[in-house]
Amino acid sequence: MRMTRYLPYVLGAALAALFPLFSGAYLEQVAVGMLIYLTLALSWDMLLRSGQLGFGTAGFFGLGSYAAILLFLNVGVHPFVSIAFGGVVAGVVALLVGLAVLRLRGMYFAITTLALAGIFAVVLRNFPGLTGGSEGRMLPNCIYAGNTTKIYWLVLALAVFTIVISEVFERTRIRLALTSIRNDERVAKSSGVNVFKYLVFVFAVTSAIQGLAGGTYAHVFGFVSPEGSFSANFLLLPLAMALLGGVHSTWGPVVGGLVLGALSEYLKLQIPYGHLLVYGAIIVVVTLFLPQGLMGTVRAWWRRSHVTRGAQ
Amino acid sequence: MSLKGKAMGLRVWALAILVVVGAGFLVAAEEGPIKLGAVLPLADITGAQGSKAMQLAVDEINAAGGVLGRQLELIIVDDESKAEKGAAAIDKLATVDNVDVFIGGMSSGVHLGELPALKKYERVTVWIGAASSLVEQAVVGLDWYFHIHPWDYLQGASYVEGWAALQAEYPLIKIHKAFWAYEEGAFGTSSYQGSLVAFSNWENVGESFKSALLGGGDYRAVLRHAQEFDPDLFIWVGYAADALPIMEQAAEIGFTPPLFVGSPPGWPADFGTSPLADGVIAYGMWAPSIKDVSPVSQHFWDAYIAKYNEQPATYFAPLGYTNIYVVAEAIARAGTLDKEALITALEATNYASPLGETLTFTPSNLIQHQGFRNQKILQWQNGAQQVLWPFEYATALPAYPFTGP
Repeated sequence: MRMTRYLPYVLGAALAALFPLFSGAYLEQVAVGMLIYLTLALSWDMLLRSGQLGFGTAGFFGLGSYAAILLFLNVGVHPFVSIAFGGVVAGVVALLVGLAVLRLRGMYFAITTLALAGIFAVVLRNFPGLTGGSEGRMLPNCIYAGNTTKIYWLVLALAVFTIVISEVFERTRIRLALTSIRNDERVAKSSGVNVFKYLVFVFAVTSAIQGLAGGTYAHVFGFVSPEGSFSANFLLLPLAMALLGGVHSTWGPVVGGLVLGALSEYLKLQIPYGHLLVYGAIIVVVTLFLPQGLMGTVRAWWRRSHVTRGAQ
Repeated sequence: MSLKGKAMGLRVWALAILVVVGAGFLVAAEEGPIKLGAVLPLADITGAQGSKAMQLAVDEINAAGGVLGRQLELIIVDDESKAEKGAAAIDKLATVDNVDVFIGGMSSGVHLGELPALKKYERVTVWIGAASSLVEQAVVGLDWYFHIHPWDYLQGASYVEGWAALQAEYPLIKIHKAFWAYEEGAFGTSSYQGSLVAFSNWENVGESFKSALLGGGDYRAVLRHAQEFDPDLFIWVGYAADALPIMEQAAEIGFTPPLFVGSPPGWPADFGTSPLADGVIAYGMWAPSIKDVSPVSQHFWDAYIAKYNEQPATYFAPLGYTNIYVVAEAIARAGTLDKEALITALEATNYASPLGETLTFTPSNLIQHQGFRNQKILQWQNGAQQVLWPFEYATALPAYPFTGP
């Protein structure tokens, strides 16, 4: 019974791992982009489950990128070590920032975290000797010398790691704590939940994931720059993916990431001049008419059909 | 030989010619078109008009019989101004479309992300964008890489030469003090830092601003700082989105330096129609008025408007057109798509471009195949961009000093 329950996950993971066997470099490269954004979407949603609307995704992504590249260039460690370092730096900075800003709530917290990307970029820009200033730094060689199959597996491993962390959040008492904080903080506190501790913990973990994604992205494409690494794309696209797929779950952002990533590439090839208009319109329509997202709508339909069947 | 024998001989020859020509056509048909794969940001005017100009050139070449008896096929993929999308576009063009040559390009940031994929395939690449010298460092030693746009430091050197020439030609123009307002990103900052070195004989002061493109748009503090400095030349380095707000806010505080210069990669399409534009100096590779002094530019201008019923408003349009012709002529010279032969043929490029100059490839500081080296100094006069320098392409005398609206 227990084995059957996990079978779809095992099959899904196997299918994803074997994807390069029936795809070419192009689809692998598209998948790399999709998986990076999917990872960011999922990490953004993990914090949202606590009721905190964080906009620091691009900031910690960029910070992780820089930390990874600078360690790699200056110390000469293995790329994996530098990527892990990017995650640690983002996590530690988030922990320190979180101790201050997680006293804020609602829009105040959102706006403060939104400013982080700008602050980090300005700081890094002002140490040109180390960071390359406004131009950034470049790697002499990208990871795996640009081999898309190996890069795909690396990014897939990161996405799977994030899904596992998200599922741990969903299947342990962390979920109960976060849900109770989101529903009513005072009730959560009176039930013995250490609200501040949980919020700082989730903020640090999700930021560390974003830092890992940033470090990986920097090694895949071989450069960092304040404009590129802290681009608003790394906040807005993951947010759209999570909203489209459905928030407060692991599979909503995953489905949203896959659907939007594939849709974006498909539309681009079909409508070269104007695909962004159609893409934007689809996001608006889905958000308006499916406010629970794709997964939320499917779940609601499933529940309804089961109730009807039960009543019959 | 009898008449019958002669007739038979002629028939045999005619048959042989038919067989050879027919086989040639069959081979060409079997080989299919020569594929050129372009990557451009299609939502931006540079990519939109650049790609249209490329298609125009392809249509012209195909109408004239194609290259090596084969038609050209242009496959364009949007990079969406994102590095990862640019990289995916290169992979698609290489593995799905199997293009023969990579062309296109605009942003340096996107191109840095595309380079790992380009290095993987090592196909002949003729790039019209990416001015950052960081890109130049990344393509050192790549014999298959040809770069058409001037690198940032070449542009700086070109302006030094231009301003020196203008001051020598028109003694009224004197520049001792310059104020640099630059957008805080890589484009503005590196331009400013390069200019400090290039114009070290001037007294330079600079201050950064947040571009309207990236959420800024208030330049009053920088403009007042400049006004206090009282420069002979004020220059802003930003994007098209900054052009009108800067002019409006300068007019608002009554800031009218003798030379008011803007250096965005492209100007807003309707900038010339604003009364604020008159007398503003611009840097660029091309202006529509070049058609008055260049027959190639005139042909490009007329053909573009006839095909698309709109005017080319960015120099990426004639640059895209140039991109196609340079590659097509090189393939014709090489007589084959063989990589080594094509590289040799590209090295022999001598193309009279619609930008005014004749394009050749010579070494730059770091790479072997650098195309254009100069920018032009232009001025908005009565709603149109006129060329002030280089003098061989000049279409008007400088309006000096700038007096504001």
